[in-house]
Amino acid sequence: MATLLNPVLRRLRGLRRLPGLPRLAAEMPLRARSDGAVAGPLYSHHIPTSPLQKALLAAGSAAMALYDPYRHDMVAVLGETTGHRTLKVLRDRMRRDPEGAQILQERPRISTSTLDLGKLQSLPEGSLGREYLRFLDVNRVSPDTRAPTRFVDDEELAYVIQRYREVHDMLHTLLGMPTNILGEIVVKWFEAVQTGLPMCILGALFGPIQLSAQSLQVLVSELIPWAVQNGRRAPCVLNLYYERRWEQSLRALREELGITAPPVHIQGLA
Amino acid sequence: MAAPKSCALWSYCGRGWSRAMRGCQLLGLRSSWPGAPLSARLLSQEKRATETHFGFETVPEEEKGGKVYQVFESVAKKYDVMNDMMSLGIHRVWKDLLLWKMRPLPGTQLLDVAGGTGDIAFRFLNYVRSQHQSKQKRQLRAQQNLSWEEIAKKYQNEEDSLGGSRVVVCDINKEMLKVGKQKALAQGYRAGLAWVLGDAEELPFDDDKFDIYTIAFGIRNVTHIDQTLTLSPRLECDSAISAHCSQALQEAHRVLKPGGRFLCLEFSQVNNPLISRLYDLYSFQVIPVLGEVIAGDWKSYQYLVESIRRFPSQEEFKEMIEDAGFHKVTYESLTSGIVAIHSGFKL
Repeated sequence: MATLLNPVLRRLRGLRRLPGLPRLAAEMPLRARSDGAVAGPLYSHHIPTSPLQKALLAAGSAAMALYDPYRHDMVAVLGETTGHRTLKVLRDRMRRDPEGAQILQERPRISTSTLDLGKLQSLPEGSLGREYLRFLDVNRVSPDTRAPTRFVDDEELAYVIQRYREVHDMLHTLLGMPTNILGEIVVKWFEAVQTGLPMCILGALFGPIQLSAQSLQVLVSELIPWAVQNGRRAPCVLNLYYERRWEQSLRALREELGITAPPVHIQGLA
Repeated sequence: MAAPKSCALWSYCGRGWSRAMRGCQLLGLRSSWPGAPLSARLLSQEKRATETHFGFETVPEEEKGGKVYQVFESVAKKYDVMNDMMSLGIHRVWKDLLLWKMRPLPGTQLLDVAGGTGDIAFRFLNYVRSQHQSKQKRQLRAQQNLSWEEIAKKYQNEEDSLGGSRVVVCDINKEMLKVGKQKALAQGYRAGLAWVLGDAEELPFDDDKFDIYTIAFGIRNVTHIDQTLTLSPRLECDSAISAHCSQALQEAHRVLKPGGRFLCLEFSQVNNPLISRLYDLYSFQVIPVLGEVIAGDWKSYQYLVESIRRFPSQEEFKEMIEDAGFHKVTYESLTSGIVAIHSGFKL
C-alpha cells in the first residue's frame, strides 16, 4: 500500500509549493475503496469515482442539465465525467506551448481572492483587464461562481478543466458576448471547436433547443459560422496567460488571436 | 445565483472540521434527520452556508441570513424527492407497514419525533379518520330506528372526526417542519396536528404524556455528525452513536405514558448475503450519484450510506431499547433486513 501511495504523496508534496492550488490534498485522509475507484483523493474536493459511477453521473447530469437549465453544476459534472481523453489532449497542447507550459507549472487561479480588482479598475480603457471588469459588472457575474473540479481522477487534468472554466469569462470578453442564453451558446460553439470537450459539443448542439425561432435563425445563419471560423483560426485559448496580459489592449489581443467583431449585436435578442 | 458548488467544507479536516461544525451549530443547525430517511441535512446546509459567499456583492449580515435560509429551504424541499428516488418509492410501503403495526386506537396521542415532513403523521391521521368513519357507519347501521330529529342532531354535532386522536410532530430542523406544514396545508390536514421544534435527546415535553412514540429514519441521525464524520476508528464512532441513541431512547421512555408503545423504523443489517451484495452495490454506486444529480450533494449521501452500515444490527438495537427500560421488545425486518421496525412497551 505504501509503495502505491509514494508517487501520490511525492506529487502532493510538490503541489505544496505551488501557490495556485487550494487546500492541500495531502492533509486529506486516504481511504481504501473496494469499488474500483482511485484510492484516496488526489486534490482537495476530489471525489474518487468508479467507472460505473462516472457513467451514471454523465447520464444523470446530462438529463438534469436539459431538464433544468439553471443547474450549472450539472453541466460542470458532465464536463468532468466525459472529458478525460480530451483533457489529456488539451494538456499536451498546453505543454507544447511555452506560455501554456508556464500556466501548467504555476497554476494561476482566477477568483476574487487572486484578482487585484483595484489594479484592474485603474487600468486604461480598452485594456483586457478593464474590459474584463466591465464585463463582470455589466452582466453581474462573479469569478467565484465556478465549481471546483471533483470527478477528474488526475490532479493535473483537474487543473486543466478548472482553468478552462475560469477562462470562460475571458472568452466572453474576447468574443464580446453577453451572458444571456444566446451569448452562452455562441461561446459554447467557440469552445467546442477550440477544446473538443464532449460537454461543449453537447451544449452547443442541445443548447439552442429552447430558443425562439428568430434567435435560432440569427444563430444558425450568422453567429455559429462566425464562432466556428474564429475558433478554428485562433490558437488554443488555454495557452494564454491572461493574468500577465491585463494591460494589453483588448483590440491588440483580438488581432493576435484572429478574432473578428461579432456580426450581429445580440444584446437585445434571446 | 450560481448553482451549488461542491462542499468547500471538505477542505477542512480534523480540527478544522470541528471548528466549522461548531460555527454551524451556532446557527442552530445541529444534526438529526427527521422524516426523510435518506438525507444528511447538516452537511448540505453547511455546504450551502459556505457557498453563499456572494462574490462581488457585499451582503449585510441580516440579508445574508435570509439568503442562507432560502438555500436551506430548497434543500428541505428535495428530501421527499430524494427518498422516492433512492428507495424507488418503497419507503412509502415501509411507512405504511409501520402504521399497520401500530394499529392506533381512537383517542391515541402520538408523538412523531424526527418527523419533519410529516409522512408518519399524515398516515396516522388518515388511519384514525377512516377508523372513526367506519365506526360511525357501524353505529348508524345499528341504530336503524332513529327519529329524524336524532339523525339531524347527529349530523349537526360536528364531533371530532378523529375520535380524540392527536399527533405532535417534533423535529430539530425548522425548514423540515416548514415543508411539513406546507404539505399539511396542501393535502388538507388541519385538525389534530401540532408542529414542535425540539431535540430528540431533550424533548420539550413533560413525563408520561404520549401513548405512542414513533421515530422513522431519525434515530440513526441522533448523533453529532462532527464526531462520526472524520475517519475516526470504528469503535469511537459506534460508541458515539450508542451514547446519543441511548439518550434519545431514554427520552422516549420518559415522555411515554405507562403502557405506551415505542416504535422505531430504521435502516438495519441485511440478512441475505446475495441481497446484501446488491444492496451495497446500489448504495455505494448509485445513491451518491442520485444525491449529486438531484440535490447537488454527493458527500452527504456518501456519508449517509456509510452511516447506515455503522448503525447497530437488529439484535444490538433491541438490547439498547431494553436497556432504556422498555419491555416486550420485538423487531421485524422488512425487505430482507434493509429496514427494521423495533417495538417496545413502557410498563
